[in-house]
Amino acid sequence: MNAPLPKRLWQWFVRSRVGRSVFRVGLPESNLERSQAMVSSFLLHLQPAKVSRHALKAGTTLGLGLISLYLFLILIGTGLLLMFYYVPSTDRAYDAMKDLQFVVSAGLVVRNMHRWAAHLMVLFVLLHLCRVFFTGAYKRPREFNWLIGTALFLLTLGLSFTGYLLPWDQLAFWAITVGTNIAGYAPVVGPRLKFLLLGGNVVGQEALIRFYALHVIVLPAVAGLLVAIHLWRVRKDGGLSRPDEPADLVEQVEQSRLPTNKTYGLMELARGTTPLVGRNPEDDVFSWPHLVFREVLLFLAVVAVVMFLAVFWNAPLEQVANPVHPPNPAKAPWYFLGLQELVSYSAFWGGVVVPGLLVAVLVLLPYLDRGRAGVGRWFARERVVANTVFALCLAAAIVLTVIGSLFRGPNWSWQVPWQPPPAAGGEP
Amino acid sequence: MDGSMRKFYGGFTALGLLVGVLVIVAYYRDQHREWMIYQRRYLQEEVRRAATPPQRVLAERTPIQIRQILLPELGRVDRCTTCHLAVEDPSYGGYPQPLAYHPLHDQHPFDRFGCTICHRGQGRATTVAAAHGHVPHWDAPMLPLKYTEASCGQCHQAADNPAAPALARGEQVFEASGCRGCHKLGGVGGVVGPDLDKVGARRSPEWLKAHFLAPATVTPGSGMPPQKFSAPDLEAITLFMLSQTGETVPGFYASMKVIPSAAVGRRLFQQKGCIGCHSLNGQGGKIGPALDDVGLRRSPEWMVAHFRDPQAVSPGTVMPRFGFTEGEARALTDFLLHLRDQQVALSLPSLMGPVERGREVFRTYGCIGCHGPDGKGGVPNPNAKTAEQVPALTYVADGYTKAELAKRILGGQRDITPLDPKRPPPPLYMPAWGGIIKEAEVDDLVAYLFSLKPKGEDLGF
Repeated sequence: MNAPLPKRLWQWFVRSRVGRSVFRVGLPESNLERSQAMVSSFLLHLQPAKVSRHALKAGTTLGLGLISLYLFLILIGTGLLLMFYYVPSTDRAYDAMKDLQFVVSAGLVVRNMHRWAAHLMVLFVLLHLCRVFFTGAYKRPREFNWLIGTALFLLTLGLSFTGYLLPWDQLAFWAITVGTNIAGYAPVVGPRLKFLLLGGNVVGQEALIRFYALHVIVLPAVAGLLVAIHLWRVRKDGGLSRPDEPADLVEQVEQSRLPTNKTYGLMELARGTTPLVGRNPEDDVFSWPHLVFREVLLFLAVVAVVMFLAVFWNAPLEQVANPVHPPNPAKAPWYFLGLQELVSYSAFWGGVVVPGLLVAVLVLLPYLDRGRAGVGRWFARERVVANTVFALCLAAAIVLTVIGSLFRGPNWSWQVPWQPPPAAGGEP
Repeated sequence: MDGSMRKFYGGFTALGLLVGVLVIVAYYRDQHREWMIYQRRYLQEEVRRAATPPQRVLAERTPIQIRQILLPELGRVDRCTTCHLAVEDPSYGGYPQPLAYHPLHDQHPFDRFGCTICHRGQGRATTVAAAHGHVPHWDAPMLPLKYTEASCGQCHQAADNPAAPALARGEQVFEASGCRGCHKLGGVGGVVGPDLDKVGARRSPEWLKAHFLAPATVTPGSGMPPQKFSAPDLEAITLFMLSQTGETVPGFYASMKVIPSAAVGRRLFQQKGCIGCHSLNGQGGKIGPALDDVGLRRSPEWMVAHFRDPQAVSPGTVMPRFGFTEGEARALTDFLLHLRDQQVALSLPSLMGPVERGREVFRTYGCIGCHGPDGKGGVPNPNAKTAEQVPALTYVADGYTKAELAKRILGGQRDITPLDPKRPPPPLYMPAWGGIIKEAEVDDLVAYLFSLKPKGEDLGF
């Protein structure tokens, strides 16, 4: 035994009575134990015991879904810490921000992590959505998981948007004012929706408490549940999409209704798509360590990036919210600036029709685009039309967002980017 | 485990170390905050100065920690004393900041008032730049020391405070220059320019000074006439404007507002309508005794007790209990003791004739700001048909009856006839004073305006 001391200590612990009661399998040494480790652990059993080499390649998914998940976990952790200090009251919320910055141990860095992780999560969830589109991974039998993914994308925006108000500074107040005004443009339901969101006609204490409850309980709980279903469906729908996916995979999923004129053993009920179906055994490797190690490594990398941003760049905090003194221009959060730019041309078309159509198309996409060609390959030639349309929409969204973020100055008129902000206060 | 996994160990190590280093950096920054440097310096100084071993031990054992003054009534938390530790220790007199002693705080103890209510800045902050408010997104930077006096005016009437002479002068300049003709302050004044109730919280001293001398340079398009203040007057009115923060102080602080003085007493005497029952100089009510020589009959202590609760010292008296605070009672007593000085008594508006009262009205509502001293005119109003000036009022008696003039004042004139219709309209106009100037005051004002016409010119036409 020439193993290093930490490893020997670990092995001693795992083999001890206490260690066995906790870990059951211990550090796996054989292929049997590797499978057992995955199956017997609560955290690991969400994943298959074996995965295809294709799924492990960095280029397959770029890890975008996992990164989103890790950011979500970081947000839950840092968010819980922030909840110990935050008070959702218009009198105290801003002071809590100041206290986090100036007196709470690690308060500033935790808030920074939460803020940067939130922005990154919006970005990575969007990138993940793009990846799924460009690899055609939303097609049968994964249509429903695409729907859950779309819901998670909207929930991510909702989480970020509700969190945006909580610091109760000028940035928060006016971004939410602008954002909810956009919601108010919807015909018939718009004004009511806005009233429901804000608990009134303007952003105030009622809006703050609603946004807080949505931000810390409702949306995270729903998102957490949907994330679990999302991951579970990945397994049940045959693992990650891959180019050599057998055609009978789809049938197997869809023939999961069994004749009722006989009795079944459990093994027969559990048929359908496992990640192994239709796959050459040589293509597969054990999840431990090939998948688990990669996941841990990626997690470390995400934590490192978020911490790096949090240590060196502070989250913004402007003056305390002042309902009678709007900044000019008042801007929505960055991911809604494309929308705000559209609204500046036409409230109805930009605020209602375009976003409504986009969401409708996202939801209906897997049921409209039903061909199975090109699944599991990036930018498949067979999908050139769909990919081009999607890329154009994406490019338009990016251009609009960049214009809204950088090129719009006072009164939403054109300006050169990175102008110094106008001096505070208009008329004396 | 197959060898291909060994490459991960490098990754784990590198990323683990990176995360570890970031945690250490974050922790180090957290544990080495700017304020700790100042606190250590103070404690070193305390150790150095310790005369006896127990003092030394005490100094050495003082923990490094945030010090703060919680002011829930004021909605403030002032952590200034985290660095300025010796503000209450006179033995630190003359020390350089941040360890200097703060003199003259007996009237405003730190544990009740904190620091930022007077000095401004950001009380919750614990870095020099942020605490002094010289950072983006903080609108109340520390007042330069020479303007700290402005803060007295947040609670005390400017004129009442003998310790703030420049502030009192600023108020005089404000009233005498007729600023109220166009600007409202405390709900009194015209509507041509913006309200000034919160101007002190919004504007810096530099901005204010630039604005007084040449308004259009800092507010493009402003129609405000440039003011010709002397240097001390400019400083004084800047100070007075800075004192107008619109902040109201609650409870205990409000009860401490009145600094007793004869002037405050005079104002109270006027406001509460004492003259309705009592007489001065033979004028006033007959229900209560005449007060001309009350100072000879009563002791100051008796008067204070009487004001606070008349029944307590004069059982059966019909004088109502006004609910004066201790300070107000003292102020009234001061005033009554000064009554032997005839000027004091005669300056009461209720003892004046209509013309004198009208002159006060003319002054109070800032008519002078546009119509000039004694209504002599001369204030520029670009592009007005009246020689590009606000018209003088010297001869209004010739053009109007008293009723017409009163109507003219109450109704105002929004549109001033331009000299050249192509140029921008004249910026100054006559606001409607109805609802602002009281009815009785209008009659006095008209009487005063009619008196402006030089004597002996009646036959000149």
